[in-house]
Amino acid sequence: MHRYPRWPIHLILVIVSFVMLVPFYWVIKTSITGENIFNYPPSLWPVDPQPFFYVDAWYAIPFPRFFLNSVIVAGMAIVANLIINAAAGFALTKSFPGKRWMILLLLACMMIPFHATIIPAYLITAQLGLLNTHLGLALPAFSHIICIFLFKASFDAIPPSLIQAAKIDGVPEWQILLKIMLPLAKPAVATNIILSFIWSWNDFLWPLIIVRDVEMQTLPLGLSTFLAYFEDTTGSLYAFCVMVLAPGLLVFFLAQKQFIEGLTSGARKG
Amino acid sequence: MFARKSHREYLLVWLMLLPALAIFMLFRIIPLLWNGVLSFQFWSPTKPAEFAGLYHYEEMFLYDDVFWEALVNTFKYMLTAPIAIILALLLALLVNSRIRGRGIYRTIIFLSYPLMVVAVGIIWRWLFDQRVGLINFSLRSFGLIDEPIAFLESFATALPSVIAAAIWQIVGFFMIILLTGLQSIPQNLYEAASIDGASRWSQFWRITLPLLRPSLFLCFVIGIIASFTSFDLIYVMTGGGPGHATELLITYVYKTAFTLTQFDYAGALTIVMFLLFVGIALIGNLLAGGDAGRVDIAD
Repeated sequence: MHRYPRWPIHLILVIVSFVMLVPFYWVIKTSITGENIFNYPPSLWPVDPQPFFYVDAWYAIPFPRFFLNSVIVAGMAIVANLIINAAAGFALTKSFPGKRWMILLLLACMMIPFHATIIPAYLITAQLGLLNTHLGLALPAFSHIICIFLFKASFDAIPPSLIQAAKIDGVPEWQILLKIMLPLAKPAVATNIILSFIWSWNDFLWPLIIVRDVEMQTLPLGLSTFLAYFEDTTGSLYAFCVMVLAPGLLVFFLAQKQFIEGLTSGARKG
Repeated sequence: MFARKSHREYLLVWLMLLPALAIFMLFRIIPLLWNGVLSFQFWSPTKPAEFAGLYHYEEMFLYDDVFWEALVNTFKYMLTAPIAIILALLLALLVNSRIRGRGIYRTIIFLSYPLMVVAVGIIWRWLFDQRVGLINFSLRSFGLIDEPIAFLESFATALPSVIAAAIWQIVGFFMIILLTGLQSIPQNLYEAASIDGASRWSQFWRITLPLLRPSLFLCFVIGIIASFTSFDLIYVMTGGGPGHATELLITYVYKTAFTLTQFDYAGALTIVMFLLFVGIALIGNLLAGGDAGRVDIAD
């Protein structure tokens, strides 16, 4: 189309890619060589690589326990989001008195960042007796408003004649939702799963506030505690980092397209 | 008969909305109101509430230097948005050109965004390390500096260093948003402009940039929100230090509430933070033409 040399573009993009990838390389290198603050100058290549630090991180900290906690909390958040958001999105496709107010209320709630609610949210969770529990960790993330609107939008796009036909056949409402509408709203389901997973998996502030026992820590919290207590055991710390990042990256590579689409639509979250 | 049927339908609708409503009541609306109440009280978990009037607000605005420092830092942290947007725009234009391997470039540049922020903070601490960090090592090897710089431990460089890490993480995400915006611009606009003899430079200013405004604005809003919610990165990289050089409002709220257990004062801080957030969001919305972040609520 246009005649201009391509190599400057490649040059810039290669340099940028290099900058983006160096931190990954550096953390992986440190996790297998265990260089610490006394190794100056640092070597650019992994010298004498060994898996010791992964074994150390696995046993020195209850990594399997943290991992399990993170999986349980994320699992609860994903299931709750699917049920609650699909139901609410379905309800919002119908006309009923007070609907406008309901939508305005949800939009207003989107303007309240979770970070502006942490103190009472902590006090409420304490009142409910849910401090230091999986349910307490997952509960505030049980529904994301943006996902309700995503469901509403995809339900609205389904031809009304289809639903009318099912109604005439006497199919009950909940079966219409389960058997007809949800299968037709697969992209919204995928976005829901991805967003609730990633927000729960990476969440740090809420676990930091309500978790008291090491046994209940999730991965990000375990990682920050490890940093605070064992600052000099460098190799194991970075091995822990790699083990924490690996599952998220794996999910990303498995569903790259849905992942990027999901995060882009989730960006409007308040 | 007819009325009863529609009553049953309304009941079903509200039953389906109920779980979501309960969650937002419990974790959005009640907490916000409770914060407001707390901010006018003397209260701690062990002693009964007492009316305090504007005591906390007076304390905050007149006597609390840390609050002012955190406020200024929060505004400085917002610089992340314009810097990252300019970089992301350049990258989006580059990866949108017809070159080989652009999909790979896009993936690599986006890769940092979904990472857990706590881990990102730990990695960047290590890169910024004064003694053996890669950045100091590179600068010294190239002869750019003689003495290693204590990036995260000195007042002048701590906040810019954290901002650099924040930009590294978010730039790929902004690039994808802007790329989506670029791809939605109709190609025939450019063809028509070329026929009229418009240079590529003026095509960029007259077509690309104006039509990209919604995407640019979305990035800007995300960047502003980040300055109110970037707790994880600060907590891990500097803990707000040295002194309070990297203290943001959110880290100050956390410390006041959960380290010093001054829930009442932290409530007042939260209210100020929230009002500031809403104010900036509304101004931004006005500047963007009033339809940013709009969710389709048409019946």
